[in-house]
Amino acid sequence: MVKAEPETVEMIQMQIGAESEFSWIINLAFFAFIIIFSLYGAKIQMWQWLKQIETGLIELKKMAIESRQTSIDTFKKFGRKEDEVAKDLDRWLDYFTIMPVDLDPAGILKRLDHLLDERRDRFQEFVTDIAPEASQSELQSLENTLEVTQVLGLIFRIVRHFFILGKKTGSQIMIMQIQMQMPDLLRLAKAYFDALDAFSAGKPIGDGIGPLVVTKFAREYGGTAETYVHEISREVGYYPIDVEGRTVYALRATGPGGTVGKPGLAVKKLVDNHKGSIARIITVDAALKLEGEELGRVSEGTGAAIGDLGPEKHAMEQAATDNKIGIEAIVIKEDEAAAVGVMDKKILDAIPEVVERIRTAILKRTKPGDKIILAGIGNTIGIGL
Amino acid sequence: MGLISRLLGIIFLVTGGALFFLGQGDPVLGIFYYFGGIMVMAMGISLLTAGSGKKEEKPPPPTVTEIRCDNAECTFKEIRDFQNGDYILKALEAPCPKCQGSMTIHGVYVVREEPPIPII
Repeated sequence: MVKAEPETVEMIQMQIGAESEFSWIINLAFFAFIIIFSLYGAKIQMWQWLKQIETGLIELKKMAIESRQTSIDTFKKFGRKEDEVAKDLDRWLDYFTIMPVDLDPAGILKRLDHLLDERRDRFQEFVTDIAPEASQSELQSLENTLEVTQVLGLIFRIVRHFFILGKKTGSQIMIMQIQMQMPDLLRLAKAYFDALDAFSAGKPIGDGIGPLVVTKFAREYGGTAETYVHEISREVGYYPIDVEGRTVYALRATGPGGTVGKPGLAVKKLVDNHKGSIARIITVDAALKLEGEELGRVSEGTGAAIGDLGPEKHAMEQAATDNKIGIEAIVIKEDEAAAVGVMDKKILDAIPEVVERIRTAILKRTKPGDKIILAGIGNTIGIGL
Repeated sequence: MGLISRLLGIIFLVTGGALFFLGQGDPVLGIFYYFGGIMVMAMGISLLTAGSGKKEEKPPPPTVTEIRCDNAECTFKEIRDFQNGDYILKALEAPCPKCQGSMTIHGVYVVREEPPIPII
């Protein structure tokens, strides 16, 4: 056996950067660290991402389960046993709507409108079955409760799908996308989860500011629940009022149950009924605020302020365009949590300013004798006529 | 995290710091003391900071109902806790305690405390 000379050992130690007797260990550890991270860095990062998704997923699952229980507790007050409600609810949480084919876009809005009507009918039918003793307005609020529970369950199931699929396939891009979207998804889910209390108890939500403004405006000019004309379109009606010599049709969905109705089609119907005499359409709605903007800030612009899937906005724009009617929007800025959560005081405090802006718009841009449509868009839960 | 983990954290931190400085004079084993000290300190810091990232969830603000007298000359206003069945613009059966007129719910809302918006 050949014994290495002490000089040779020293030389090797110097080659790996050793300055003292033991510092070569540190240098070796350093090289090992570099090698491990260059070869397995991505795997370590994936593991870290998966752990983060898992933490978020647990949170989402908790929200989905709790919202399901809240729904069961709410529904069972209206005439059915808890186990029956739970069984039916679980069946319904998977309910889906297939969007119309868009390869041939001609007539797509009509088809979408039809599907949305059908979906709404099925929801109403289901809620009536599951809560037979509820009143009409309670049924509408229960429908909203069901929808929130469905949304939370859906978010959880979609994230879980990509989490498991990402793990199975080891797809870095899939896992990375979910991990990056997780904070936003959690924020959205939290907003809906917090809103469940509002929907199950029938409290007004931030999104209802449009109809509320319209009613407050109508009341200033003599509009009352008795003068409200019901069902010009599905769950939408209007107060005919006189504002400084102009006839204003102050339109909103019927409350205090939770419904948005079909305000676009109501506007179209009013325009058709008063062919050629509508001078202006004013829409009032809640709009998403930008981060840094104040909650309840009022802004105005041109166009139809309505955030539906398409048919309602289209009906409004088409009616305005065909009849060359000026269409304007006044919006109240809110974030998602405020829009679906219980009405915030700051949003309510915006009402006088919005009412004033509506008055200015009417007096400045129309003349006595004109007919105007004022449409308050939003969910009317907890907002009476 | 509890008091015990905080105490342990402080002990680890102090021990780690002591190890870190103890090895300064030793040219041979100093490096081990150095890294050992850092590791023990890191454990101490982990114990001290564990759980601090998750903010304690505040309970949601209570929902209140604002009632006002319909008589324009009467200034009566009452704010009470939300009761099931309350909704905005609901006419109440109870008369105004001040003028005996009718009363209406003018608001159902929450007052959220929000951090001030930074002026940039």
